This record gives sequence, C-alpha cells and structure tokens, in this order.
Amino acid sequence: MIFSQLKELGVLGINNRVGRYILRHNNRANYPLVDNKVFTAERARAWGIAMPENYLVIENYGSLKNIDIKLMTYDSFVIKPANGSQGNGIIVIKEVLREERNGKILLRFRRSNDKLMELDELKHHISGILSGLYSLAGQSDTAIIQQKIDKHPVFDKYSYGGIPDIRVIVYMGFPVMSMVRLPTKSSDGRANLHQGAIGAGLNLSNGHTNNAVIRNQVIDIHPDTQHTLSDLQMPFWREILELAARCYDMVELGYLGADIVLTPDQGPILLELNARPGLGIQIANLSGLVPRLEKIRLEAPENLLARERVDYSMKHF
Amino acid sequence: MKKIIPYITASLILIPLLILLYKSQVLKISLVPQMVDDVWEFHLSVRPKGVVKNFSFPVPKSGQGVRVTDEKFKKQGYTVFSDTNNDSIVMTWASKEPIIRRVQYTARIDIKPVKYKVTKDTTESYPNGLQQYLLTPTLLPEDEEAIKLLEGAILEEKETKTSAIRKIYYYMEEEIQRNTDIKTIHETLITGKGSPLIKAKLFNILARRQKVPARIVVMVRLPELKDEAKAKIRFTFANEVFLNNKWIPVDTNRGYFAERPDSFIVLHHNYEDIQNMISRKNVTYKVHAERVRVNKFNRKEYSKEVAKSESFFSTFSLYKLPLPLQTMFTTILLIPLGTLVLSLARNVIGIPTFGIFSPILLALFFKETSLGFGIIFFFAVVIIGIGEKYILDKFYLLAVPRMSILLTLVIILMIGYSFWSADISFISQKHLSFFPIVIVTTNIERLSIMIAEEGVYSTLKTLLGTLFISLLTYAMLFIHTLEMFMFTNPELLLTIIGLLILLGKYKGYRLSEFIRFRDLVKQRKLKDEKKI
Repeated sequence: MIFSQLKELGVLGINNRVGRYILRHNNRANYPLVDNKVFTAERARAWGIAMPENYLVIENYGSLKNIDIKLMTYDSFVIKPANGSQGNGIIVIKEVLREERNGKILLRFRRSNDKLMELDELKHHISGILSGLYSLAGQSDTAIIQQKIDKHPVFDKYSYGGIPDIRVIVYMGFPVMSMVRLPTKSSDGRANLHQGAIGAGLNLSNGHTNNAVIRNQVIDIHPDTQHTLSDLQMPFWREILELAARCYDMVELGYLGADIVLTPDQGPILLELNARPGLGIQIANLSGLVPRLEKIRLEAPENLLARERVDYSMKHF
Repeated sequence: MKKIIPYITASLILIPLLILLYKSQVLKISLVPQMVDDVWEFHLSVRPKGVVKNFSFPVPKSGQGVRVTDEKFKKQGYTVFSDTNNDSIVMTWASKEPIIRRVQYTARIDIKPVKYKVTKDTTESYPNGLQQYLLTPTLLPEDEEAIKLLEGAILEEKETKTSAIRKIYYYMEEEIQRNTDIKTIHETLITGKGSPLIKAKLFNILARRQKVPARIVVMVRLPELKDEAKAKIRFTFANEVFLNNKWIPVDTNRGYFAERPDSFIVLHHNYEDIQNMISRKNVTYKVHAERVRVNKFNRKEYSKEVAKSESFFSTFSLYKLPLPLQTMFTTILLIPLGTLVLSLARNVIGIPTFGIFSPILLALFFKETSLGFGIIFFFAVVIIGIGEKYILDKFYLLAVPRMSILLTLVIILMIGYSFWSADISFISQKHLSFFPIVIVTTNIERLSIMIAEEGVYSTLKTLLGTLFISLLTYAMLFIHTLEMFMFTNPELLLTIIGLLILLGKYKGYRLSEFIRFRDLVKQRKLKDEKKI
C-alpha cells in the first residue's frame, strides 16, 4: 500500500504541513513580512541580509505616467508583484533599447526570452500587477522594479536561460532540506518546478547534488545543456545555509522556505521568502521531510545562534 | 484545549443524533414529512346557451384512484342540487330568472393512476342495471356489413369475452388513426380514421355486439407541467367495459388497456347520459386545472404533527416560518452539506478548484437554472473569458474595467440565450442565481492567467475539478429527501460542524498525493537497491 510507503519514507503531505507545522509555528501576523517583497526588503536591510536592490516601488497608476524617464537610467531590471507567488507576474528585462525619434527617446525592452516589449506593454503589465492580477488573494498590489541578478558562472553548464535559485526549508531556524532549481527550455527559463524546471536535491552536509527531477521524473543530465547533474557542487554552501537560518530570526516564522540566488560578485543573496513552501522539494531529494522536522522538534537544542543551528543541520542531515 | 477538542467534536456530532432519536422515539414525530402526490386545483365554469332557467352539468366524483375534496360552488343566487349515481355526479343549477352568467365549480382533486388485472370472463347474463350498456344503436345496412366483416377478420369463433375485448382494443388502437375531422361511424369504417369520440363510439358498439357491457367515459386531460399555463383543456373520451365484475378502463386513443394514468380526470362515466348536457350546442364551458402540489412533501400536515407534539420543537421549528423563508431555507440548509462534500474533495481527495466556494455556488446556479443550461453557460463563459483575454490583451485595459467587460459579455450571452430559446423560465426570479454569474465571471480572469502561467493542462484539471465538485453538490441538491431531512431537522447542522472539525483535523495524505509522490517512492526504492 502506497500510503504506508509514503509514511515510511516520512513524506510530508499538504494537510500535515498545514495542520502540524504551518498553523502551529507561523504566526499569521508575520505573513506580510514574507508575502510582501517590499516589507521583506525593508526588514532585510535592517537585519543586514543582502537582497537584490529595489530600484523603484510603484504603488499607484499615477506613477506609471513618467515611468520611461525613470527606467531610462537602467540597463536591465526585473518587474515583479510585491505579493506574487510561484513566480507569477515576473518579467525579466535583460536589455533596454533606446531609440531617438523626433527628438524623443523611445524605449523598448528585451526580455530574457529575447522577445521585445513596447513601453505600453510594459505599462500594461505593471498596471495588471497593481490591480492585483498576480497577488495571492487578488487584492491590489504593488509592483517592484528590481535589480536583475546575473547568473553565477558555476551554473553555466546547468542552466538554460534564467537564474537558478536555491530553496532551503528552514524549520525553527534549522535548515532541514534544500534543492536548487535549474531553469530549462521547457520552463521558459524560469526556476519554477511547475513549469518544468529541474529540481536538484542538495545534501545539507556539503551542498552537493544528490538527485535531480524534472516534472517528478528522475534525470541524470540537463535536457538542454546535456551536462550531468550529479557533479554540481554549490559554492558558498555554508554561507547559503547561514543566510537561510538567519531569515528565521528576521521574520519569526517557524516553517519557512528561503529562496537564495548566487550572484557573481556579492555571493549568496536572499531573493524571497515563502511562508507556505511547496512539497516538491521532497521529490527532488527523494526523501521525506517528516523525520527531519520531528528530529528538530524533539531533539534539537533551543536558543542556538544561526551559525550553531547550521552546524547542527550539516551534521545531522 | 487540545484535550477538549475531541469532546466538543463528539458532542457536536452526537447531540443532534440523540435529538433525532428523541423526536422519533419519544415524541413519535416522523423525521421527514410524508410524500403527497400531485394535487390538482380543478376549475370548471359553464354557461348555458339560450334562455333557460335550469341546466345540468357533470362534475368529478371520488372513486377508484380519485379523491375530490374542497368542492366549492359559487351560489350566485342559484339553487344547486346534485344527482349522484354509483359512478358519477350531475349537478343542476336552477334559478327563477333565466341563467345568463357563468356558474363556477372548483375542487381539489388528488388523482392516482389505476391499473387492473383482467382475467378470463365468460359471464352469460348481466343484471338489469347493466342491460342499458348492452344496447346497440341501429346502423346503416352497409355499416352493419362492414362491422360484420371486421369482426370476422379480427375475432375467432369462440372467444372469451376478455380476449375478444383485447382484440378489439388492439385493432382500434393500431388500425384506426386519430383524425378529429372524421365525425361519423360511417366515415370511420370507410377511411380507417376517427375522432376520439367516434373511436370510443365504435369501440362501444363492437364491445356490446360481443355482449360485453360497455360505455363511453368523458374525461379531462390534465396539462403537462410545461404547458400548464397556456393549455386549453377540452373533454376527451375513452371507454369502460364490464369484465370480471367491474368496470375496466380502456383507451383506444392513447393506448391504455385496463389502466388509467394519473393525467386524466373522469368527469362522467356514461357519455350517453350527458351527451346533451355537454354538447356545445347547449352550453359553453371552460376547464382549468393547475397543479397545487407537485409530488411534494406534505409540509402542512407535518407542521400540524409537530405542533401536536407540544414539545420544544413545536415552538422552534422552521415550519413556523413564513412560506417564502421556508423555501429559501430548504435550499440554504443544503449548503453546509455541500461544504462537507467540498472539504472532503479538497482535503482528503485533493481535487483542485477555482476559488473555495465557487463549486457550491455553481451547483446552486445549476439548480436555479437547469443543469444543461448551467453547464453550457459555464463553458460559454470560459470560452468568452479566454477569447476576451486574447483580444483585450491588445487593448491594454486596466483589470477592473476589463473584468467588467467580461461580466457585461456574460449578460449579453444570457440575453442571446433567452432569444434563442425563447424561454425565460431558465432563470428564476430569485436573486440567488445572479451571484454565481458574478462568481463565474471573476474566476474567469484567474482562469486566463492560470492558462498563461501554469499551462492548459493544469488549468483544465482545476476547471474539471471545479465542475466535478459542482456536479456532486448539484446531485446532492436534488435528493429531496435529504433536503427535507435537513429542513425538518436543522439541528443536524451541528453534526456537520462536528464532521468539519474532524476533517479540519485530518493530517493524513490526500489521495492526490499518492499520484504526486508515486515516483518518489518508486525511484527511492531503485536508488536504495543500487546502493546495496
């Protein structure tokens, strides 16, 4: 019976995740800190946690009027909804094209998938964000124009298109499981498992891939780059885990998903936090979360510093 | 807190059940009202033609399968008296002055289908009272010849009365076509066609010639539900034959032998007696029949029953509410049951849906309109939504006006449908049906985004999930017994809360997670085997 097999492997189901971990440990009042990326950024600045720079925060339709003047100064950027989820509503602009016509400068934007966007389209997308098209509950939202992160060279062979990110599940401040999400052609360059990105489980002890899946199927090589996935070693591994562990202190959510990106110059920085991280990470690692969560709950010492919690996790998981 | 939850849950579930037990065992109240059949409000108005001071007209009488109650005559200054024989009633209105106004008769008629089993019959002689039903009229010689020929063709020499009648019935039903223009026996014998009355007359003659007492009954055909309002009701005719010592109905026009469906009310059992009374030469009449209760539970009786129990429940019963509120609550009380289905489907099975309660609202919408229309409407809106997405995307409209355009398009769709089907009854006057329209509409925008973001496959899954749960809830809404059960025993709502707490506490896997983590289990095994 597959039920008992799931139980044996300690696979965490949705009901269990919500009932036993999220509702118990995540205080609803702290949700806006992670759901709204503007708040996360403010809090992170205060805590000295590095995040991509927010160039502009657009809160109302009025600010859309002269947006081209503001955007003119940037060569690349990312547009995202402050309250978005699962990467919905995010557009990556890798190049801003300036064209002079009749003394006016016209802007056009090249997206990460090489499609060209007119200024009007861009404005339309932002107004869609403002009206709440992509927000979690459909309420009106804020749009963020953010610094575009460049790909760390270590991923050159492992990623197609966009920027891979590292998901770390943090329970009571202890990293418990991790994976790296590698964009593929079929995911349209996005690091989103639903859309067909690769999820590669990472050993907490050393940051080395232990397994990789694409849409629930185990794979050995990247379908687009043809490179073996089993020899990916994450640089700055300890720093990544410490960054994730510190997020617990920052937002005080007991069950948390931290999305971290590696930059070529700054090292690991926090991209966003998630109060309801998905369960697909278990498939990427081919192991269940429950034994690890229960070990922390029952055995782990309390009142440790982030650094000490990372030590614990690296030793035990 | 953790410890008392099970107790709270258990009491929530059990207390209403105990109340039910108390009601049924101690107070002896039934848990659901009794079912009642269609009851008809029968209305007859008659006016004699010419200058007369009295006239007669048949009215329905209680009997096999028929119960006539609440008979009312508007006296209007007439003297009214009735002449009752075994089967029928003829009313007579009399006045000192010539009758110029219509006279009115109303009654409630509860009618059930009747069916007889007819066995062999070889009766030789009949009592005097039946002799009149054996007389045959004098026919034209050539008609006489034709009938003899016919009898030779369809009957064998020695037949029991039952089998002879059966054969005549089959012949009349199969071979004589219905044609209201043919009005004499002579024509019918030549053309093989006949009006209902002529067919009944011919059957009567054929039966009597076999020495079986037979008569023509005058009936009113009750209108179907859909054309109840506009149907003009006329008298129609069938026969009765005396077999096995009782009168057996035979209808060669509609094809019923030894049975009478509940769509006919017999006005009089012997046409010959009243032939002149109902002739259009002598009177004008109007018949109107309307269903007052359509196979419904008898709420009135039940509220009496509850009141009689003189318990707490006689004061706090939903049956005490005004009728419109009662009707509303009958539907509304099913919503919690719907949420139970929904919670089960989402949290235990793991069926994805758009929004949380939209499946239930959709189900209500289906109920308010009709399932066929509901589903067509749902998919039409989905298609409009997707089309709108592709077309209006190029307009760069803000989200709210855009959604409003969608809503307006939906309303245009409704207008279009009404014109196309020329049927406005698909949406009832209740405002309830309009909320789902809004719900459906607002979900569409999310639908088009979902298609763009998560792909057609997963959107389709969610769409079908929503529809599936709606249909499940819809099916539940149609179990009248369930509806009445909840309405009669609203304390069961507490049980539902209890069950919902149980569901809310469920931390096990969802059925959908079997599929989701199936590969995890399989591949983990493979990997472990490799290691070993």
